[in-house]
Formats: sequence, C-alpha cells, structure tokens
Amino acid sequence: MTESNRISAMKRLTAPLMLALLLVAGAASAAGDAEAGKNKSMPCQACHSQDGNATVDPQYPRLNGQYRDYLVKALHEYKLGERKNPIMAGFAATLSDQDIEDLAEHFSSLPGGKLTDLHGKVSE
Amino acid sequence: MTRALLLATALSFALPAVAAEKGDAAAGKLKVYTCAGCHGIPGWKNAYPNYHVPKIGGQNYDYLVAALTEYKKGERSHPTMRAQGESLSEQDIKDIATYLSSLAP
Repeated sequence: MTESNRISAMKRLTAPLMLALLLVAGAASAAGDAEAGKNKSMPCQACHSQDGNATVDPQYPRLNGQYRDYLVKALHEYKLGERKNPIMAGFAATLSDQDIEDLAEHFSSLPGGKLTDLHGKVSE
Repeated sequence: MTRALLLATALSFALPAVAAEKGDAAAGKLKVYTCAGCHGIPGWKNAYPNYHVPKIGGQNYDYLVAALTEYKKGERSHPTMRAQGESLSEQDIKDIATYLSSLAP
C-alpha cells in the first residue's frame, strides 16, 4: 500500500468511525438513571405524590407505570411550550435532557402503578 | 430557590381543589370503543413521532377531562386526538373520564 493509498483509506474510515462514536455517546446520554431520577423527583412529588400515583388531587395525572417514552415526550413538549400548562412549564424549563430521561425512567419503573391500557376493558 | 418558589406555586394551585361533577361510567364504557383501537393494545406505539401511546385506564378523572377538553379545543396538538376530541361533547368527555378513571390494572 502506497502512502497516498494509506491516507485515503484512513480518510474513508474516519467518517464512519466518528459516526459510530457519536451514536455510542448519544445512546449513553439517552439512557435514564432511575436512581438519579428519584433524587430529582422531589418537586414532582408535591402534586404527583411520592409514588407517582397522584393521590393528592385528581387534576394531576398519575405517572407511576406510565410508558417511559411517553413521559419523555410530555416533558419535552412542556419544556418547548408545545403543551401549555403554567405549572409544568415552570418545572420543565429547569430540566436538562438528561434530567428528563432520569425522571421518566424513575416514574415509569416504580412498582404499585394504577394505570392500565384498555385491553379487554371495552364493550364488544 | 427557583424550585422552592415553583413548589410553593404548585401547592397553591393544589389547595382549592373542587370535587368535579362526574359522568356516567356505563355510558362511558360504550364510548371508549374507539379509544381501544390505540389505547387498548398493550405496547402499541404512535407512528410518528415514535413513542408508546399512553396508558389511560386508571388515570385521574379531572386530568382526563382536562386532556380531552384541550384536544377538543385544539390546545394539545396530536392530530388523531384532536380529531377524536372534536367529535366529543362535554357529556361524552365526562362519561369517558368517569369510566376510564374507574379502571384498575
């Protein structure tokens, strides 16, 4: 292999390598940490309860056992102002992407959830 | 400091909670037939953006009424849910929320 061939081979490899590294980094930051989420969930508990079942007031949704990716989406929508709620806008504005992943992991993985899908629960 | 303020604000909203007048659970059970098309399939995903359709059985009554009313008024943006919300009367929304909130896993 000549010197110029080696250089062009290296160039061809650089882009895929960079991409792979970015993907790995992206996947790592996307994963939520339930324990970290628990530590960040203190403000949430005032309305959504410590166990996420929102037993304080029925205007607040239950979060315990809700799908993780739905919770992530909802928090991003509040943060971006796509979902409008004065209380949640204030909280979501303070959250980083990692905070959102951690909180969603925490609430979606809590035991004792009262939420269910509608499988078998409609009139035929 | 900011979080403490937000917490205080949230609590002040929580205090004057009024018991809402509920709908008819039996009527609601008939009206959720359409909902089950997406919310009734365990693990079903919204096509785009790709995320799980939320669990709504057992959800709190007032929240369900607020969510459906927001879709009806176009204040929440999901296309399918806006179309569904537009087709619902206030009574439909109360009946559906009454039935859904009565469910348990």
